Amino acid sequence: MTTQVTHPKEKARPARSRPRKLAGRALLYLVLLLTTLYTIYPIIATALDGMDLNIAALFAGNNIVLIDSIPFPQGIFRFNPTPYLDALTVGAFPARIVNSLLIGGISVGIALLVGIPVSYMLARVDIKGKGAISFVLLALRTVSPFAVVIPLYIFFTRVGLWDTFPGVAMAELLLILTVVVWMVKGFFADIPRQIYDAASLFGASEGQIFRRVALPIVIQGIAITAIFGFILVWNEYLIAVIMTGPLTKPVAVGVFSGLGAINKTPDFVDIEAGATLAFLPAAAVMLAIRKYLAKGFSLATAS
Amino acid sequence: MKPQTGGRKKVDAYWYLLLIPIFAVLSVVEFYPLLYGVYLSLTGPSGGLTSGNYSQLLENRDFWNSVAVSLTYSTMSTAIAIGIGLGLTFLVTQQVRGRSVFEAIFILPLAVAPIAVGIMWGPSAVWDDVQTFSVFILHLPYFQEASVLFYFPVMAGSDAWEWAPLIMLVALSVINSAPKEIYEAARLHGASSWQLFTRVIVPTVLTSPVMQFVLVLRFIDAMRAFEIPLAWSTWVGLTTSIGSPADTLSLYLYKLLFIPSFGFPLSLVSAAAVVLLSVTLVAATVMIRLLGSIGK
Repeated sequence: MTTQVTHPKEKARPARSRPRKLAGRALLYLVLLLTTLYTIYPIIATALDGMDLNIAALFAGNNIVLIDSIPFPQGIFRFNPTPYLDALTVGAFPARIVNSLLIGGISVGIALLVGIPVSYMLARVDIKGKGAISFVLLALRTVSPFAVVIPLYIFFTRVGLWDTFPGVAMAELLLILTVVVWMVKGFFADIPRQIYDAASLFGASEGQIFRRVALPIVIQGIAITAIFGFILVWNEYLIAVIMTGPLTKPVAVGVFSGLGAINKTPDFVDIEAGATLAFLPAAAVMLAIRKYLAKGFSLATAS
Repeated sequence: MKPQTGGRKKVDAYWYLLLIPIFAVLSVVEFYPLLYGVYLSLTGPSGGLTSGNYSQLLENRDFWNSVAVSLTYSTMSTAIAIGIGLGLTFLVTQQVRGRSVFEAIFILPLAVAPIAVGIMWGPSAVWDDVQTFSVFILHLPYFQEASVLFYFPVMAGSDAWEWAPLIMLVALSVINSAPKEIYEAARLHGASSWQLFTRVIVPTVLTSPVMQFVLVLRFIDAMRAFEIPLAWSTWVGLTTSIGSPADTLSLYLYKLLFIPSFGFPLSLVSAAAVVLLSVTLVAATVMIRLLGSIGK
């Protein structure tokens, strides 16, 4: 009995079950296809809408689409790259990209500078107060932005840090500092203890061990953490919308502005083109570091 | 926990110096704003200490509405994300062609900014296509996109769409770190891949501290949901109305502060923020516990 079913995949199955197995395979591929469609349809539809390729127009005769259950005659499926070209050339988009790069860069820089020593400490030694440090960092990660950002907004307006790059970048630390500390700590913790012991056996001081031994080993991990943290800031909206004004508005805020109170007739096509343009670099980077995404998003509890 | 190894004890004091930079930064961006927020929440309209903001808050129906909205939203989106995330996990653990390509496609939503999720799952991108398809091709009746029964599940569902891939990634990492013998044993007993998944993999994944940690984190993040409800309150024309079914806690506080007619009720919003802060501290305690059991 046991030998008969050792490896179901390899063993020739009785002829009776083959059609059933085939049907199972077909169903599996069908579900895969539908799941793929579900995952990427919103992204693709948004990208296409941004160039006037409205899929709804293909379903409706006479180019009539339904918007909020009301037939509208302006649905079109005709290639028109203007929204993208506008965004990249005449709009404020390029300036917002520069703003996003600056905010992300400064924020990640500060986070690494003040975070790496703590990551190293948490991974390297058992000292008193470790629990308290973890608690403060976790509380920082879970606290509602409003509890912090509103007082911070008032404070920054008073000292003139509101709508400045250092100010916004500092506020974004609320989002990434814990992530950076935990992720880098994970990379430090992967270093075998014997390496440290060997180094101190050869008479290296703690400072030398950190600079010459530990840091070079985790430098790639730090780079990955920096990229991941940067994308988090790139995509962040709530802190950015409160802490930035006309001078430092980043991409994520820019994509959605022109909506709400300011503009009563929002131009969906421009918003969709902007959302696509903001998504593309983030997607490319996320796919490049996909092995580490679980680590980043789970505060390095998953590997 | 462990007895200290020789020689390490005497350098302990120096290690604390590494905390100075982060403490300096946190003082500015966290400790000071939090204390200032507590102070604001205790300040009356004409100055002076008062608890009036808290009693005003607790009597505020819109506040309780937003608490209910946030709890519903968070529960729904976390539950849907678990379901879809486990489904994705099943698909990418099967023997199929191009598995890694599918896996790469499935993680794409993680790269979408939350505000863009609100745009991509909004009426003009997805739902007008679906509406037109269902009316013109399937000849089904119209559905109201501005009805709460439609847009609320869509909001929670699109939140879940973004985070289901994370559940998948964490599940895969749990599966990879569990001993291979479990799966071999199930196979030997003739379990089909579906049985293996539902009876072995799902319980293993859901009971792992790592997954529980991530789910708590996800629930808390969903409690702070802001961008998707903001987008939808724009799509369905609720930007200036308060106490709507799209008003999650964050959106409610945002509207209170930034709609001019409410007169910038800073003390009230600070009181709400302090209440949220206390909830956060409870959550952080739970997560510290889970974190402890992950380390072992």
